[in-house]
Amino acid sequence: MRRFFVTINENDFEVEISGSPNIEGWIEVQVNGEPVRVRLPWSATSAHSAWAMVGNRPHEILIDHDLHWIQTTRGRHNVQIRDRDTPISRPRSGDGRVKAPIPGLIARILVEAGQYVEVGQPILVLEAMKMQNEITAPRSGTISMLNIQPGQSVKLHELLIEIS
Amino acid sequence: MFKRVLIANRGEIAVRMVRACRDLGIAAIAVYEPGDEGALHVRLADEAYPIMAQLGYRDPDAMLAAARTSKVDAVLPGYGLISEHPGFAQACEAAGIAVVGPGSTVLSRVRDKVGAIAHARAVGIPTTQPSSRIFMPDEAQALLSEADSVGYPLVVKACAGGRGRGTFVARGPDDLLGVVRRSSAAAQSVYLDAQVYLEKAVLPSRYIEVPILGDHHGNLIHLGERDGSIQRNTRKVIEETPAPNLSQAQREAIWATAIQVARLFSCRSACTIEFVLDDEGNHFFTEVKPRLQVEHPVNEMVTRIDVVREQLRIAAGLPLGFAQEEVHLQGHAIFCRINAEDPWRGYLPSPGHITGFRIPGGPNVRVDTYAYAGAEIPVRYDSLLAKLVVWGPTREECIRRVHRALQEFQITGVQTNLALLWLILNDDAFIAGTYTTEFSRRRLLEMPPVSDYTTDLAAIVALAYLQRTQAAHRAIPEAFTSGWHRDSRRLPQ
Repeated sequence: MRRFFVTINENDFEVEISGSPNIEGWIEVQVNGEPVRVRLPWSATSAHSAWAMVGNRPHEILIDHDLHWIQTTRGRHNVQIRDRDTPISRPRSGDGRVKAPIPGLIARILVEAGQYVEVGQPILVLEAMKMQNEITAPRSGTISMLNIQPGQSVKLHELLIEIS
Repeated sequence: MFKRVLIANRGEIAVRMVRACRDLGIAAIAVYEPGDEGALHVRLADEAYPIMAQLGYRDPDAMLAAARTSKVDAVLPGYGLISEHPGFAQACEAAGIAVVGPGSTVLSRVRDKVGAIAHARAVGIPTTQPSSRIFMPDEAQALLSEADSVGYPLVVKACAGGRGRGTFVARGPDDLLGVVRRSSAAAQSVYLDAQVYLEKAVLPSRYIEVPILGDHHGNLIHLGERDGSIQRNTRKVIEETPAPNLSQAQREAIWATAIQVARLFSCRSACTIEFVLDDEGNHFFTEVKPRLQVEHPVNEMVTRIDVVREQLRIAAGLPLGFAQEEVHLQGHAIFCRINAEDPWRGYLPSPGHITGFRIPGGPNVRVDTYAYAGAEIPVRYDSLLAKLVVWGPTREECIRRVHRALQEFQITGVQTNLALLWLILNDDAFIAGTYTTEFSRRRLLEMPPVSDYTTDLAAIVALAYLQRTQAAHRAIPEAFTSGWHRDSRRLPQ
């Protein structure tokens, strides 16, 4: 038996999973003590859409690779999950390296090297798909590297700015 | 009627115009920029010609050259790109090629937005209060002093383009120049036109617009009004007709003013007369859009009129086939823009390869799109991916049908705003029909109270976690995970 504490957008649930899937793929699950049968076909490519059946209710879902959120027709919901038996620590994200989230053109740079920035502060404007997209600081700190120029084209995941 | 028509656009509107030509038995001639030759509008066309100029689709000379080379007798410009370019229309007219639209004279007259408002006001039409002239974004002192006489809060509007992009509110002199720069930069990047003007803000307000059709024989009709007040990230996302929460008398007054404005500017073909409504329901003329609009299908749904077909017939010199009394506005229609963007990540555009594309169907559901499973969504064009248009006999039934269509609509490979549309549709202010442009500041309810839905998700999440930990760190290619990141789990307000 495995026990999990699941939080979905501030709602807490206790989920117990016992045994293994039967031949059709159904597995017995208890949510807050209520038993229900669930089918979730395994998909390695999590960013693609998945299908699940809970009892008699079908669901089309998208599950974040890192299980930070789950998306349905009705919105994207924050997820936190704690495994009671094997606590895991997630790798820290936001190491201060700002990479291009999409390919585009640097429209404006709003900070200078050596400047202190607060988390969430706009640091540059990246133009792509005819939109001016504001990129914000992933953490507070000092701009330790800035090797881009306005008007420069950047590739996907290209390192733009580093905050330390 | 024309034999060959150049489709001077790309994306969903080019597909829409190819369809109109085919339905009329006209050969549709596409153009493409390098890299866009595999796009749907090219695949569906009878012939296709490259545009090699640096400005691509936005280059009027290159477009005219393509029209000459392909020996078309008319050009369909659609919206955006060169559709409002008076010089292009004039050059085509001089070359004996019909431009489907109101003509270069009307384009020039309504392009001067400040002059157009003054002209309407001079004949007694109620209008918004604009600045005395148009400005370049670097005229800081002139802008600041003009803003003082217009009065805050005011709206900074780019001279080119639609109401969403390039339109921002400035609440005081401190943010005026920043807002001007944003507005101007947005318009410059899309329309190559950095000019802006100011307009006294009406807050709260509603955006009501009236599409009209006019022919060369003096016939002029409207197709009902629509409400475009629902915006997110400064862009219109949902529109509907009839506009909710208006009396029949208000509607008729708005239609009458729209026809009066259209006559004043000699509008022909398809144009849209745009108004701002204040909280007492008074309407003020603000601008004329001298072209087909993105959201034109919403009025097509309630009138059963094919606007692009009528545009082609009008340009060929034929009279409108129906009078105003024969235009029956039936039922209710809702229009949704589906963009390749991530609302949970600051509306960041999401270009890429579409891996799955399931379109909703059933009665009274229409999807205009250039996307399909396997299509590439290029990074250098607009993020508008698809338009969902739904009709119902009443507003209530229409809303229910949009719900089910959104549930059926599934797009994978790129992130979209489909789930955001669902949240808007479930918002109390939307359901009541009492929304204004202040809707963009509303916080949407992201999670319903605990229900079967939430407990089901909890079970799925736990099972997904178990499957993943048991799969022992199977390597997942970055291509599948890029575009997805943990830092965006809340919808920005």
